[in-house]
Amino acid sequence: MTSPSSPWTRRALLKAGGVALLSFGAGPSFLARAAAASSPGNRKKTLVAIFQRGAMDGLMAVPPLGENGGERLARLRPQLAMKTNGSGRVQAGDSLDSELAIDLGVGFGLHPAFAPLAPLFRAGQLGIVHAVGSPDPTRSHFDAQDYMEAGTPGRKGTTSGWLDRALAAGPSAHGAPSPFRAVALTPALPRSLYGEVPALAIADLADFRLASPGAALDPAGLTHAAGQGFEALYAATSERLLRNTGAETFEAVERLRALGVSRYRPAAGAEYPAGPLGRALRQIAQLIKADVGLEVAFAESDGWDNHVRQGTAQGGFARAARELGAAIAAFWIDLEERRSDVVLTTMTEFGRTVAENGSGGTDHGHGSCLFVLGERIAGGAVHGRFPGVAAEALWEGRDLAVTTDFRSVFAELAAGHLGVARPAELFPGWSGERLKLFRA
Amino acid sequence: MPIATLAPTTSSLSPTPIVRRSLPWRAAGWTERRAAAHLLSRFTFGARPGEVDRVLDLGLDRWLASQLAAEEPEAILDRRGRTLPALALTGPEIVARYPRKGQRAKAAGATESPRELVRQLVGWKLWRVQLAENQLAEVLAEFWFNHFNVSATDNAARPHLLSFERDAIRPRVLGRFRSLLGAVARHPAMLLYLDNARSTAAAGAPTLVPDRFGRRAEMKTKRPRGLNENFGRELMELHTLGVDGGYTQQDVIEVARAFTGWTVGPPGLAGAGEFRFRPGAHDSGPKTVLGQSLARGRGIEDGEQVLDLLAVHPKTAAHIAGKLAVRFVGDRPGPDLVARLARTFLGSGGDLRATVADLSIAPEFWDGEAQGAKIKSPLELAASALRGLDAVLLEPVGLGREIARMGQKLYAYEAPTGYPDRAEAWVNSGSLLARMSFGLELAANSISGVEVDLGRMFSAREPASASAALEAATERLMPERDGEAIRRRLTPWLGAPDLAARLRSEAPPIPAPPLDEEGEPLIETAPGQASGTSTKSPAAASLVQVVGLVLGSPEFQRR
Repeated sequence: MTSPSSPWTRRALLKAGGVALLSFGAGPSFLARAAAASSPGNRKKTLVAIFQRGAMDGLMAVPPLGENGGERLARLRPQLAMKTNGSGRVQAGDSLDSELAIDLGVGFGLHPAFAPLAPLFRAGQLGIVHAVGSPDPTRSHFDAQDYMEAGTPGRKGTTSGWLDRALAAGPSAHGAPSPFRAVALTPALPRSLYGEVPALAIADLADFRLASPGAALDPAGLTHAAGQGFEALYAATSERLLRNTGAETFEAVERLRALGVSRYRPAAGAEYPAGPLGRALRQIAQLIKADVGLEVAFAESDGWDNHVRQGTAQGGFARAARELGAAIAAFWIDLEERRSDVVLTTMTEFGRTVAENGSGGTDHGHGSCLFVLGERIAGGAVHGRFPGVAAEALWEGRDLAVTTDFRSVFAELAAGHLGVARPAELFPGWSGERLKLFRA
Repeated sequence: MPIATLAPTTSSLSPTPIVRRSLPWRAAGWTERRAAAHLLSRFTFGARPGEVDRVLDLGLDRWLASQLAAEEPEAILDRRGRTLPALALTGPEIVARYPRKGQRAKAAGATESPRELVRQLVGWKLWRVQLAENQLAEVLAEFWFNHFNVSATDNAARPHLLSFERDAIRPRVLGRFRSLLGAVARHPAMLLYLDNARSTAAAGAPTLVPDRFGRRAEMKTKRPRGLNENFGRELMELHTLGVDGGYTQQDVIEVARAFTGWTVGPPGLAGAGEFRFRPGAHDSGPKTVLGQSLARGRGIEDGEQVLDLLAVHPKTAAHIAGKLAVRFVGDRPGPDLVARLARTFLGSGGDLRATVADLSIAPEFWDGEAQGAKIKSPLELAASALRGLDAVLLEPVGLGREIARMGQKLYAYEAPTGYPDRAEAWVNSGSLLARMSFGLELAANSISGVEVDLGRMFSAREPASASAALEAATERLMPERDGEAIRRRLTPWLGAPDLAARLRSEAPPIPAPPLDEEGEPLIETAPGQASGTSTKSPAAASLVQVVGLVLGSPEFQRR
């Protein structure tokens, strides 16, 4: 189908899975891979990671109740404290607008803006890890995010991200690679996905195509030819980063064109919130259902750096929590048929001060909490050892102490869901215990 | 004229004579032409047509000296500036005219939306990077804004951003670091963005004098008192010492205490929107910062002394030297280069002009590997394309959107770190595709608010064929760079005498756009497309295609 003497015909129409793929000038190796990527046998386990940028206040998300230190916490944060519904059972009144925190019945509450997550907790699919974080003492967003994404607290020199290393170590490392093994629905490639396994980063999959200026007036395929030209240029450039990224780009464009991102309809009842996070999870769900070989998906949730006006049932925290809770809940409804393939986890760089600051907010702290969602996850429980908020239990006298190293969680997810055989090796310099999160 | 003979400038920018010797390009084995192109790639936003020749005519040393002096008249830019009303206003006047969200109703005079202010801010930036004669100062303004990043996504800081860049940063980019640091620390944009405006002495801490005025304002807003560490931390981590700067959490607290009372005059009162020191909010107790004690009972001097201390700290010198080397040489500068620059920085008392001048004579700057070693940021890519094509920017919004799509929404990087300045941060498959699309769209004159006239640009030598167009475009857009490599790769695609016709016959049939009842296309076309060069003639179409490919090529992504 291609003829070296006539580059103009280096275009191939490929029938694969009933979908016509129009390639701009890719060689046979690409065709083989594209065909493999669209075959039904490409169903994979997918780990979805949501990074809550800005450091979520774990004590507001999942506040300790009663003996865990509820009263003391309320004294330290007079403007941020909330009452709970105090029942420990499913409540008809667990709603976003409630002024009351939801009592999870296990000595902890849940902020009412996370109400859509409460049923998942009670159904035993959503687990919480509390007092989780980094052993490194930094209170810099930049550094703490860097350490968490690299998977090496205190070490800046690590060139790759832990999610990328997990892919490189996973069982699918051999065989036909999909251009969609790792996808970040973010404008820039996150640190977690730096590394040798190629990753796709784009804020909105619908924009993933080459512009066709003047196409309406001149529908003669100029852009198509431009694609061929670009592909030739990028394949030949001496700059490695541009050459490799170029190759990934052209492959991914073809697959997405075949998929038709804008035509996707989520399952009934899955109502994603407007905004980038809702869109990201919706597109991740589409990729999962399309069996394109997605193994790691990454999205970001913003608005957690609540130095001022953090609020209670309303305010900065509640705004961010409402979006995150609604997006995760919609994602889980959308994926009802595929839940056995998917585990979702949140992460955040550190927690916030136990006491409120002078501006109705909280400053940078240490331990926080995270959510893990999946059918095989030991849900309905708060994992880890909660150290409490008594004066003597606080880290540096002011922050929630870290009792679970985030690597204990990440290693468990890499082993339990992605099938990484020796997960400790993903985290150079670490030899800790995994935190057990999967049901036997 | 060697740069060494440049007389110490009489302007207030820098007090010291600076450069010791001529640019060492010859010794490093560069041709003069290639050296001129390299200088333009480092110290401007890209060469304009014929600019390499102009640098050669003037002499490389002399050209750089004039850029370091930054005293070229800016007639064209000034004319553009007069179309932006906010530029005629002082900082506080801007805040009154474009108040933050939610305060427009309360404002006394006529007001406009903060969005309109950001439009002007983006427009001013895009005009400046394209048109400024003092390009080095413009490159440095971009560098230092990013270093001291404040985000327009912060509602409180947004009305102050234009003044922040115009009044605090731009006049000082070739002056002393301490002066720049001080102007930034006092600017309302920074005070609001990093929350120092809200930071007050903790309950029980001594303050200077009871300030009735301030207290009344506080009672009105019901804002509790207390320390906010945000500015104290970022001042050391990002602005000066760097993250490995050896400071402790206790230092962060002490620095935050030193800056209590540095705030912004509240709206509606005298001094609204200006820097203000409130003695009644200042913690006047004794402090120890990085081992140095600040005595009790002092006021604004506490903060000023902390800035004095940080501005000439060796860790600061190394941090700033490293960032400058990354911007002007390559992503991984060697420790020798950084150490040498840091010594210049320290030895000159933080003279930024001397430090940049030192960069220009560094052997690493003239290493053969340095040419094309940097990936352009999206702003740099767009600016170099506009400059190379002599495009006319009429309205900035469309171009700003393109730059955002490539991964750099202007003035909107949320974190105080600013955009990371390294290749991996800019190159991923999403942004790369956006860069290629940008090239095609710009060449086809279909970016709204931008006018590209390829016919005029190439009128001196109307390309007779696609390959002639390719040669002209690479020469024009990438002087002294890998044009030959691009030509070799693209020539097979350009073999036909009439590229466009060939493409038409080869392309698969595409259905015509659907028509509405009146027979008009249902799909709207962008304004630029209708008048675009692309459909005028087959020759013009091939020129568009070729220029688009060159702009989107890997080589044009590098500088």
